[in-house]
Amino acid sequence: MTKTKTNLEEQIAEASYVCGRCGSCRNVCPVYQEIKWESSSPRGKIALAKDIFLKHKSDKMTEFYTRRLLECTLCGRCEEICAAGIHTRELWLDLRESLREKGRLHPNFRHLSEQIALTHNISATANEYRLDWTDDLDDFEVPQSKDGSEVAYFVGCVSSFYPQLAEIPQSIVKILEQGQVSYTVLGGEEWCCGFPLISAGMSGEAQALARHNMEKVRALGVKTLITGCASCFHTWSEEYQRLLGEAGGEAEKGAGFEVLHVTEYFARLLREKRLMPAGISETVTYHDPCDLGRNSGVYEAPRDILQAIPGLDYVEMCRNRELADCCGGGGNLQMVDSGLSQAIAGRRVGAAVETGASILVSACQQCVQTLREAARKEKLPLEVMDITELLWRVLENERGV
Amino acid sequence: MEVFLKEIFGSRMTTDPFELEQYTKDIAYIPPILVRLLAKPWPRAVVQAEEPREIASLMHWACQNRIPVTVRGGGSSAYFNAVPVQEGIVLDMNRMQGVGAVHATGKAEEAAVWVQAGTTWYDADERLRRQGYTLRSYPTSAPAATVGGWISLGGLGIGSIRYGHLREQILGVRAVTAGGEIVQVDNPGLKSEVEAGLEGSGLCFDDFFGLEGTRAVITEAHLKVRPLPEKETHLVVVFRDVRPTGRLLQGLGQVSSVFNIHFSSPTFVAVLQKKGYALELPQERYCLAMDLAARQTEVEEAVRTIRREVQSLGGEVLAPEAGEAEWSSRFKALRLKQTWPSLQAAELLLPVEHFAAFHEALTKLANRKHTVVVTYAHLVSPQTVLLMTLFPSDELNTLRYLGDLSFISRIYAVGKFYGGKPYVVGLWNTAYLSDMYTSKALKRRWERKQKLDSPNILNPGKAYKAPFFLSRPVFGLGMGFLGALRPLLRAGREKDD
Repeated sequence: MTKTKTNLEEQIAEASYVCGRCGSCRNVCPVYQEIKWESSSPRGKIALAKDIFLKHKSDKMTEFYTRRLLECTLCGRCEEICAAGIHTRELWLDLRESLREKGRLHPNFRHLSEQIALTHNISATANEYRLDWTDDLDDFEVPQSKDGSEVAYFVGCVSSFYPQLAEIPQSIVKILEQGQVSYTVLGGEEWCCGFPLISAGMSGEAQALARHNMEKVRALGVKTLITGCASCFHTWSEEYQRLLGEAGGEAEKGAGFEVLHVTEYFARLLREKRLMPAGISETVTYHDPCDLGRNSGVYEAPRDILQAIPGLDYVEMCRNRELADCCGGGGNLQMVDSGLSQAIAGRRVGAAVETGASILVSACQQCVQTLREAARKEKLPLEVMDITELLWRVLENERGV
Repeated sequence: MEVFLKEIFGSRMTTDPFELEQYTKDIAYIPPILVRLLAKPWPRAVVQAEEPREIASLMHWACQNRIPVTVRGGGSSAYFNAVPVQEGIVLDMNRMQGVGAVHATGKAEEAAVWVQAGTTWYDADERLRRQGYTLRSYPTSAPAATVGGWISLGGLGIGSIRYGHLREQILGVRAVTAGGEIVQVDNPGLKSEVEAGLEGSGLCFDDFFGLEGTRAVITEAHLKVRPLPEKETHLVVVFRDVRPTGRLLQGLGQVSSVFNIHFSSPTFVAVLQKKGYALELPQERYCLAMDLAARQTEVEEAVRTIRREVQSLGGEVLAPEAGEAEWSSRFKALRLKQTWPSLQAAELLLPVEHFAAFHEALTKLANRKHTVVVTYAHLVSPQTVLLMTLFPSDELNTLRYLGDLSFISRIYAVGKFYGGKPYVVGLWNTAYLSDMYTSKALKRRWERKQKLDSPNILNPGKAYKAPFFLSRPVFGLGMGFLGALRPLLRAGREKDD
């Protein structure tokens, strides 16, 4: 259920009143680390929100204020360290909702909203082409909306429409095939999960998407929904209940299926010996996606996968799990300031190189895309890939392909 | 001014009011009416230094033009320490971050490391841990407080009971003088002020500690560090009464493995529990969280000693999970703001032998004034506790907030009776300077300041002298008036809970 305007403003006022301005949030904030002005720090933003919503100084709602609010990856590092226990991520989302209320949304967010309304995905491509990434798969046909399947694979917009990332969904379905999983994808019936709209402060517009997706997956009668996208996973597992949560509504029915990230599902297949990876002689580190780790609590499954690969030398980055730094690709930041997003990514790939790893894996297409670009720009000796791509590589080796 | 600053700092300089406003405050809310009366907190510009040479140029220029410079680290103090009171320039140190390689130094071959002044203590520790070392002590505001900031403001916190005041853990400081000279000043402060005065800069080691950046700008500190301990254990012990709590506190300073001791009053725990925190702690008990770090055998021996002592005093040692939970939330005291979003506080150093008596007197005062107070404290030396007492207020009601300020002076008065004094001066505690220093010491402090910064451009208005409205007679009158008014301002309110 989305918040009413009064509700929203009261909650912002309440949260901002709790802030003690201690500044614990400042140094962990990836945006502050780049911009370095107090107004870009979480406490700086909260101070502005406090003036506007608690002390009703509406003249402080300036262009600059709007810009600062949108300069955020929604990574949740500030919430993790907040000495006052403020749910800052929720506060940032509420503040973005308030920008929408006041008609101050970033033009790119409005464009995004129009785009999704038109195509039901984040790209300009018609939704019927959602399965274009399967064109290169010669060995098998990817089942689409197949009744009686046990698992539905929710591919996500980024994997579906960005050809440079096509190997991720391809790896996932190849692994599902090898594990002899009864699965299906939704094809053109899959709509954007709504995460980009929620991040933009338009959760009301995400409701229709949530309702559609929930209905389609329910209709398949699957036991499990998996997704390789950390943000889709977070939205399905954490946000849909809120979006569809009106009394007596969708949430009370229960989804009727479990929602897992592919790393959780593949870790399960590995435990059940349905996947038998070959060895690989590489040093690998793992970047925790914010939406999978800190914001959804999945830390161990990706590590279980990596540690199940014989010969793989696994090293942790200095900041990992709930303390992991953001890749810079979250919170729609790329739409607002792509340079800032890239600068944040540059720091993260730098931290990966410090571990001595030759491969950096993540479990989120957005992270992979952002980090890969940063590694390329920085000319780092680092291969960036999704964990499913690495897993398929070692499974492929096992098959002797 | 702008042209000069732009030349040195480029885009790391701003005069934009939108940015400047952020530098007009610290963590304590002060009603604007009071701020206007006592300070001019709006800087004319904020600059972010990246290296000492830039600071040297700034100081040289500021000295020639008599423009005040206020150094700001984490901005996590509460007494306007890092907020200008005479406009001027704010020098933001947060770009000067970095931790060097740990190396052996001195006759004792102790492990040490150079850390840049804008590094937070939390970050410094994280980077040290990658090298197999850790800090000897750090402030309870470690995620926010910078190395330069804590040297300048206090130097007592977690680990002090074991390793002493921060001064004892610093081998040297690199700094820029008020006149713009880059210097290095080494501990052990063997030089007297006379000897130091013979040197070029005239700075001596003690000019950095607790002096709020009024004598020089710290750019780097040479910290002693310790190897990661073999064993760490966290315990919580609880008592029904504050007296045995105080007795145990008095003895704990002698236990060699003790790294940190943290006291929570029953009211503090109750306020946290209202919002679902600290549920591992029992209600209506005085809690002492103890953190021990040493060799395994030493820690085990210390735990046995503490258990025996607790038993003899009629207390109880809680399950290990309680100790772990307290330790992992050591930077999260502000969670009490979930219950009391607006609060006021008094922070004071107190002889540990009077801790229990002070607490009893404070409770009586609070009851008499229908005010709930919460207290938490750290044992920072075998003889001293650093104590924070907080009570709810309402910054949305200026009159009530002003009235509540008088209660702070009552807390300090009780503290003074038991041999306590405020911890930090800044601007707001200049009213208590005579409680903190003898008149002779105050005179010496001011003479030293004049010698090192004759134009008085480094963080002026703090630490040395009270402005008119904070001078003892005027302040006393004001607090008396507000104190008399307070019951009326609070009329109709239930006792805070």
